[in-house]
Amino acid sequence: MKNGRRQVLKAGAALAASPFLSFPALAQNTPIRVGIIAPKAGIAGTIGECGLRGTQFAVEHINANGGIAGRKVELVIEEETNPKDSIERLRKLVLQDKVDCVQGIVSSGVSLAMGPAAEDMKALTIFWDGTTQDGVKETMPNKRYVFCSTDNECEAVMGSLLAIKHWKGQFKKVAGINPDYSYGRNNFAAFQALLKKYNIEHQVVADQWPKVGTTDLNSHVAALKAAQPDLVFSSLLFADLPIFMRTAHGAGLMDGKTKFVFPAAGFQHTALKKSFTPPGMIFGHNTLYFDYAKGTDLQKQFVKWYHEKTNDYPNWEADRAFFAMAVYKAGVEAAQKAKGAWPGKEDVINAMEGIKVQSLGGPGQMRKDHIAEQTFYQGITTHDNKYDFPTLGTVDVMYSDQLQKGTGQDFWKWIETANIKL
Amino acid sequence: MTAFLDVLIGGVFHAAVLFLVAAGLQLVFGVQKIVNLACGSFYALGAYFGISAVKWAIAAGMPPGLFIFVLIVAGLALAVIGPVIEALLRTVYRRDEAFQLLLTFALVLMFQDILRFFWGANPQELGDLVMSYGKLSAGGVQVPTYNVLVIVASIAIAVGIGAFLQRTRFGRILRATAENREMSQALGVNVTWINAAVFTLGTVLGTVGGALVVPTAAASLDMPVELVVEAFAVVVIGGLGSMRGALTGALIVGIMRALAIRYYAELEMLAIYIVVIAILIARPAGLHGKPIE
Repeated sequence: MKNGRRQVLKAGAALAASPFLSFPALAQNTPIRVGIIAPKAGIAGTIGECGLRGTQFAVEHINANGGIAGRKVELVIEEETNPKDSIERLRKLVLQDKVDCVQGIVSSGVSLAMGPAAEDMKALTIFWDGTTQDGVKETMPNKRYVFCSTDNECEAVMGSLLAIKHWKGQFKKVAGINPDYSYGRNNFAAFQALLKKYNIEHQVVADQWPKVGTTDLNSHVAALKAAQPDLVFSSLLFADLPIFMRTAHGAGLMDGKTKFVFPAAGFQHTALKKSFTPPGMIFGHNTLYFDYAKGTDLQKQFVKWYHEKTNDYPNWEADRAFFAMAVYKAGVEAAQKAKGAWPGKEDVINAMEGIKVQSLGGPGQMRKDHIAEQTFYQGITTHDNKYDFPTLGTVDVMYSDQLQKGTGQDFWKWIETANIKL
Repeated sequence: MTAFLDVLIGGVFHAAVLFLVAAGLQLVFGVQKIVNLACGSFYALGAYFGISAVKWAIAAGMPPGLFIFVLIVAGLALAVIGPVIEALLRTVYRRDEAFQLLLTFALVLMFQDILRFFWGANPQELGDLVMSYGKLSAGGVQVPTYNVLVIVASIAIAVGIGAFLQRTRFGRILRATAENREMSQALGVNVTWINAAVFTLGTVLGTVGGALVVPTAAASLDMPVELVVEAFAVVVIGGLGSMRGALTGALIVGIMRALAIRYYAELEMLAIYIVVIAILIARPAGLHGKPIE
């Protein structure tokens, strides 16, 4: 009897070890579960919704074409709020919903806190936006499970470079109106550092720091007007940007020869109506310019799909979300191909390092240090279009290896030493 | 000089906005002795409802230039919520002030979800409608005509409330009730009705204010809290319960803010609250610290 029981146990162990009953094989029959954490409310609500559309489009596209390595994708969506609650939702997604990958996050405040939590939980996490940087200093230099977006300062670097390229010699007195947190502060500092790098003689005559959510910018505009700047640099990007534009137009700040650089205008592009947004400004559309004539068929297909669903035109968060899903898909499929079987999480992570993908806005890749590289679009605005808001008359395209520091580099030293082609 | 006028106009416009919020707060405290934190929520409700009303009216064929009248009507129509909320507050009139503060704070949070439920999480705005009124120019100074209308509306409301309180029979009854509720009741004043009327008037000041200001800004879920923080500086400076104090306090806060932003933007709040602290130390009742004039 004792012998018989041992035989049964041995047989059971052999069966469990058999490739015919292995868990990966079982897993291939079920959908891949991807958890999404994105803001649905507050100042970033619109942006989160646009990102969710990007994910939705990606999943429809993937599932219609056979899924990821043959498995359909299923989404579990949670809301991004404050860091503490968002981390709780990450735990829920990983422990309760048992998702294979987590994507999302717009706020740097949340990603800063969530990065270490995701590493602790060994949760494969791809951030849409925000970075794991405290200001411009990387707080997680040796990430294993977390993959980050491009540096937040890329758009400011590009906007500054375009201001120098197009308007060198036409401005001396510069002013800034930027959001009062690390993003706005770093962007304006980066602008000044680049002016210094390219020996542009300049004088900062005003710097305004409205708090996020400020809805009365009359006094800020009056202060800017009083300083009589030749150029205003502003990385306002939420609902305060259309308010600023209306207020500045109403106060006559835009009547003279003052030039304007808005590196993050693409977040609000459809709200910046022609009636109060003159042409000839530098606008940044980050990694997705919806009206790019040379855009890929994929981009055009998405813009049409988005417009049919929302009667609006997408901003770059849709591209960030699509990029995250594309990187994950490419990683899983590359790992599966290399292994010849369904890959584990570590295999997927290894495959994602250095992988190249085609996103909505153009080519991109995930660097080996888990920082994304993507294609950026900015240019000078025009009213010569079919819309009630300005679009880009001339489009400048740059890849982010020209716009962000390399692995382990200090941002400010990188600005000083980088070999950037203007 | 042009620069100074630009800064001054910016400050006066902000003061006009603050006055509309603080006036309701003052009126309600003056008569009912309740610090109504929800005054900012009424302002936000007016802003959201105003946007919907204007969009609806324009879709129905109204000429866009008439939007200001729609905003006023929308703000006035929200008077219906005044008696309902006053009926709820009636249960805590005789309780400790902490209860009243907690209840009105609960209203702030509830209103935030109500706004989210009806209008969603994203900020709402009226686009370029405000441009249809053009600009006023003098020398180098330019002001959107609509901003001037908001300032004029605030002044008109301040004068109107002053005249109402000082020169009408009902105003005198209100002031008498504010001075001595029991005596007024003994003389036959229906204090329950007075409370409902005052609270509704306070509500309407907020809703009309929010509706009037929104074309120059945007309606967002964060606006109630943002405004209440500054409105409290206004009432501390002006004197809790004083309408004249609301006007003086709003002007001081608006202009101090504009000057701070002009000369040292980082000190915007510090500049305002230095005045608040100075008033609290030197004149705790505020500049016009009577219950109500």
